Amino acid sequence: MDDLITEAWDARDVILGGLLQTLSISALAIVLGTLLGVLVGVALVYGAWPLRLAARAYADVMRGTPVLVLVLAAFYMPAVLGLHLQPFAAGVLALTLFCGAHIGELIRGALGSIPRGQTEAAKAVGLTFFGVLAHVLLPQALRSLLPPWINTCVEMVKASTLLSVIGVGELLLRTQEIIGRNFMTLQFYLLVGALYLVVNFAIEQAGKALERRVAFR
Amino acid sequence: MGYTLNFAVVWANLPKLLGGLLLGLELAAASLALGTLIGLAGGFLSVGASRPGRALAATYVAVVRNTPILVIVLMLYFALPDLGVQLAKGPSFIAALSLYSGAYLTEVFRAGLVAVPPGLVEAGKAIGLTRFGVALHVVGPVMLRNVLPALGSTFISLFKDTSIAAAIAVPELTFQARRINVESFRVVEAWTAASALYIATCFLIAAALRGLERRFPKF
Amino acid sequence: MPSAETSAPARPLLAIRGLRKSFGATEILKGVDLDVRQGEVVSIIGSSGSGKTTLLRCVNLLEEFQGGEVLLDGEPVGYREQAGRRLRLKDRDLARQRAQTGMVFQSFNLFPHLSAAGNVMLGLRKVKGMGKAEARAVAERWLARVGLAERADHAPSQLSGGQQQRVAIARALAMEPKLVLLDEITSALDPELVGEVLATVKALAGEGATLLLVTHEMRFARDVSNTVVFMEKGLVAERGPPGDLFGNPRHPRLIEFLRGTRDH
Ligand SMILES: Nc1ncnc2c1ncn2[C@@H]1O[C@H](COP(=O)(O)OP(=O)(O)OP(=O)(O)O)[C@@H](O)[C@H]1O
Ligand SMILES: [Mg+2]
Repeated sequence: MDDLITEAWDARDVILGGLLQTLSISALAIVLGTLLGVLVGVALVYGAWPLRLAARAYADVMRGTPVLVLVLAAFYMPAVLGLHLQPFAAGVLALTLFCGAHIGELIRGALGSIPRGQTEAAKAVGLTFFGVLAHVLLPQALRSLLPPWINTCVEMVKASTLLSVIGVGELLLRTQEIIGRNFMTLQFYLLVGALYLVVNFAIEQAGKALERRVAFR
Repeated sequence: MGYTLNFAVVWANLPKLLGGLLLGLELAAASLALGTLIGLAGGFLSVGASRPGRALAATYVAVVRNTPILVIVLMLYFALPDLGVQLAKGPSFIAALSLYSGAYLTEVFRAGLVAVPPGLVEAGKAIGLTRFGVALHVVGPVMLRNVLPALGSTFISLFKDTSIAAAIAVPELTFQARRINVESFRVVEAWTAASALYIATCFLIAAALRGLERRFPKF
Repeated sequence: MPSAETSAPARPLLAIRGLRKSFGATEILKGVDLDVRQGEVVSIIGSSGSGKTTLLRCVNLLEEFQGGEVLLDGEPVGYREQAGRRLRLKDRDLARQRAQTGMVFQSFNLFPHLSAAGNVMLGLRKVKGMGKAEARAVAERWLARVGLAERADHAPSQLSGGQQQRVAIARALAMEPKLVLLDEITSALDPELVGEVLATVKALAGEGATLLLVTHEMRFARDVSNTVVFMEKGLVAERGPPGDLFGNPRHPRLIEFLRGTRDH
């Protein structure tokens, strides 16, 4: 135990750097993925059929393919197509595409469960399609989406570990490097597991606090 | 640019890809079986009368659901030997995925148990069944039918998660695709093929499940 | 109450001409003609399924229709002619036209994520482009007029059905529409809450609002309307001042219908 504390303290900069990288990857994927997901969800529900078909194909492909395959494909494929992405960018791209598909499906479900009277009342007031969407439908959908969205955030933090496979120096890869030097395998895997637990618990608690604040009174 | 598609390598490697796919299905099936045992135990514990039992189940679920699967896989494969437990790659991965899915299945079975009408339990007791008898003959069958769709979607997720076995060099589909990628530089073809095989398999499993659900109508 | 009979035969505010509407193969409206003059209160009665709701929804462009036209203040709504073809207007134009008519729904349809005042303010801010303070002032004025000044910051879920419906009325009226459409606005209410909503509508009618309403409350229709319209099988079967229509019905189906309703 003393060994672990000494070793971890010596490696604190490396661990913190990895943690920071993990948080940046996750945050980027969640923010970009959510924006993409709103577009995909709206396209799935209200798009004209060619757009709807494209959104459906995109969502099905992303959700039917393992995230690790997406990460590896995003890492290897762009180069042969003449596009040079750093591993970090490739990984974020893969996670964003995956996150966008998931959130798109969530939005589709949430929009679909809003009673039709809401759209009609909003139209009757004179709002355009985008006005109805922005001021009436999405605010309601986003509220019911908060719990599954928080869940998705946790999933993205977990999925960010897959970027270690393509050499992105996030928390897991940094930990593996430390283990490579000191051979304290079990201790450091437990430590890294605990760090992920802390991050994800923090996200869940923040989510619950947010839920209480935005609940319908 | 100037990249022209050539699927010849994929065709040449098709047996290996399909072998990898089959291995993934086997890993997923084994993990689902073990995960179901864990999940049943966890589910009954979490609705049971024992307070420590409920706390144990809740802690297990919270810890595992918030830990990345890759960390669990690497820990079991690389760190368990420190404790004197040495598993081969395949069994080690199955253990990790079972542990992981057990947490999700605990939630599934808990929800299924809660949904069993309390009147059924009382009716079971009324005809003289023991508590175990009620669980085995009344609650179990009703609950299993209710959770069938969730079990199916868990199997599909597990199958996709088997791709992570590539990280410890288990030669399943993702591992094979990466091998083609690295050996032949047919990058686009390798990943397109892998993705298509995963999607097609998930689609087939989902279709089979829908058939199964029709065979066993809801009570 | 303004008398429709004595005012000059000016152009009607709302003119429905030969309106035809089908859902799939079944024709629901089979050539409806109906005029509503400025300041007039017109009640539509008729048996279930006769097309009353559908007619109101066509006027507010919530439904497309296949034939005839709807003129609001002389302007055809919903469609334009181009090279002899009828084309549905663009979303933005539909929205502009819808803003000229208010609609109150049977099921209130208040926005649950907004307060009572927020419900009234949404159209004022996003359609009329009013500033926040001004919209708030207008909303408070209208909530006061429907007797809900103290409830401005309540969420819809904290209001009774009758209160919710009065917020919905304020939401429609605050936009200062030329015409207000009300579709069975008391049908979803508990009997003891019906009175407060009908009293609100009656007050608005007395202040000169132009109303086209569907109701199953015959006493109310008789009290509040200048004209009552009886719809039957997708057509206007009979129309006239309430005294004539209720006192001396001629159409056999109307006679039968009135016999079936208790409170006229
Ligand atoms: N969206 C729709 N699709 C298909 N048919 C519809 C639709 N809306 C209404 N109808 C049909 O149109 C007919 C007229 O309906 P409408 O709601 O206008 O009647 P109503 O006179 O308002 O009846 P009520 O007094 O019961 O409200 C009914 O036969 C109904 O089944
Ligand atoms: Mg109706």
